[in-house]
Amino acid sequence: MAVDSKVRQHLVSPDGKWFWDGVAEQWKPAPETTADRAVETPKVPPPPGQSARGLSSFAGSISAEDLAYGQTVLVWARWILIGTGLLLSFWAPKDLTMLQVQLAAIIALAFGNFYLHVQLLRGHPALDAVVYGASLGDICVVTALVLVQTGYASPVFIFYFAAIVGISVAFPTLMTAGYTAIVIGIYGIICLATAPPEDYPAVFTRLLMIAAVAVCGNLFARHEAQRRADAIRLHHELLDEIEQGAPSRPPIQARTQPAVPAS
Amino acid sequence: MPNVREVRTAAQANQEDVFFGQTVIVWARWSVIVAGIALVLWTSTSVSLLTQTMPFFLVLMAVNFFLHGRYVMGSPLNRVAVTVASVVDLVLITAIVVLWPGSHGLQNQFYVLYFPVVFAFALVFTRRIEVIYTVLAMLSYTAACVLTGTVPLDLGSDDKVLVMRLIVIAAMGFLGNYYFRIQRDRLLRASQGETKWASSTASRA
Repeated sequence: MAVDSKVRQHLVSPDGKWFWDGVAEQWKPAPETTADRAVETPKVPPPPGQSARGLSSFAGSISAEDLAYGQTVLVWARWILIGTGLLLSFWAPKDLTMLQVQLAAIIALAFGNFYLHVQLLRGHPALDAVVYGASLGDICVVTALVLVQTGYASPVFIFYFAAIVGISVAFPTLMTAGYTAIVIGIYGIICLATAPPEDYPAVFTRLLMIAAVAVCGNLFARHEAQRRADAIRLHHELLDEIEQGAPSRPPIQARTQPAVPAS
Repeated sequence: MPNVREVRTAAQANQEDVFFGQTVIVWARWSVIVAGIALVLWTSTSVSLLTQTMPFFLVLMAVNFFLHGRYVMGSPLNRVAVTVASVVDLVLITAIVVLWPGSHGLQNQFYVLYFPVVFAFALVFTRRIEVIYTVLAMLSYTAACVLTGTVPLDLGSDDKVLVMRLIVIAAMGFLGNYYFRIQRDRLLRASQGETKWASSTASRA
């Protein structure tokens, strides 16, 4: 039974919808079985020591490894926020209290980001909870800066975009949606309370673009996860082919066509 | 373990980048279209204004329907067509910033439309093309602000705001392409059977 299953996997096309009939020498529609579904979603072992803090328990196809890779984007997004914030704080400062709040928030963020960056450089991505907390800290800092600069009129709201970019590519879809909803909700309320009615179209545009960036980033991350799964499956098929010495295989190009993207 | 060669050629990998990335660009464009149509409907003060501006977005919507349809049918456009369409996006957004009634240049609040477009483009193309596109977006916005006379170029608060916006546009391009390159590296290693956290990622960080 196990041997038959292995042979069937070996003959299934990359998209799992066809199998190679060696007798008729043609592709035929593959009946969907449990074994086929197993081929479509190969299990990728998590890095050692990370299973206890992984996201796989609730994050679907996004693994703790995805978060680890996405952390580098988050860290660099935060450095951009910190660097730009410092530059702009010293450029024509007007109010002492505002400058104090800005510098305190930015320096606190810099210390936290330094810790996360050192962890990455040492090859030990931080705990999930720390990463989530740091991203929440980004949102809080930007919100604090927006509030001390009279809400809607504050130009620093654009740093929400940098924060959301990092979140959208690093976090699972549900978490991305949650963080984006928090940003849109908080900033929307601030704007509605501080913007004149004639500027509501601009508020709407800002909120819509924050959501658009989140959707684009997360959509891309999901597609990439699927492409990696396909690549790993192809690799395993190739190994099986070499081990079994199977002669009748379709051209390599036919097995490496782009797969149907995630919807 | 047997010595296994890479099953995807570089050309195939590039084609796949455009194939998978195209959907991100299409969705980013949808967001711009939705924002544009909502703004036109919301802010129009006369019938003539509405009838003059709305057809432009309807045409853009038809174009994106075509692009999205091609993608769904499994025959997306090639790299050149995607690039041209993305440049047209920049032209449209710059036109909104310059020509929108009531507020022009730096005072126009619809510069945020640049962000998803630049970010989506950076997720699809290689670094050199992405840098060119991002710089083009930054130059377009700078020119729109300067030519409308809304930036005094005296290193005052208006210049500060302009620099802040340009930095975020650049950050969108950099972060998007940085993630794109991380994913290329991961995909390459996945094709070779490696699935663990790589030291190359630590060095990238």
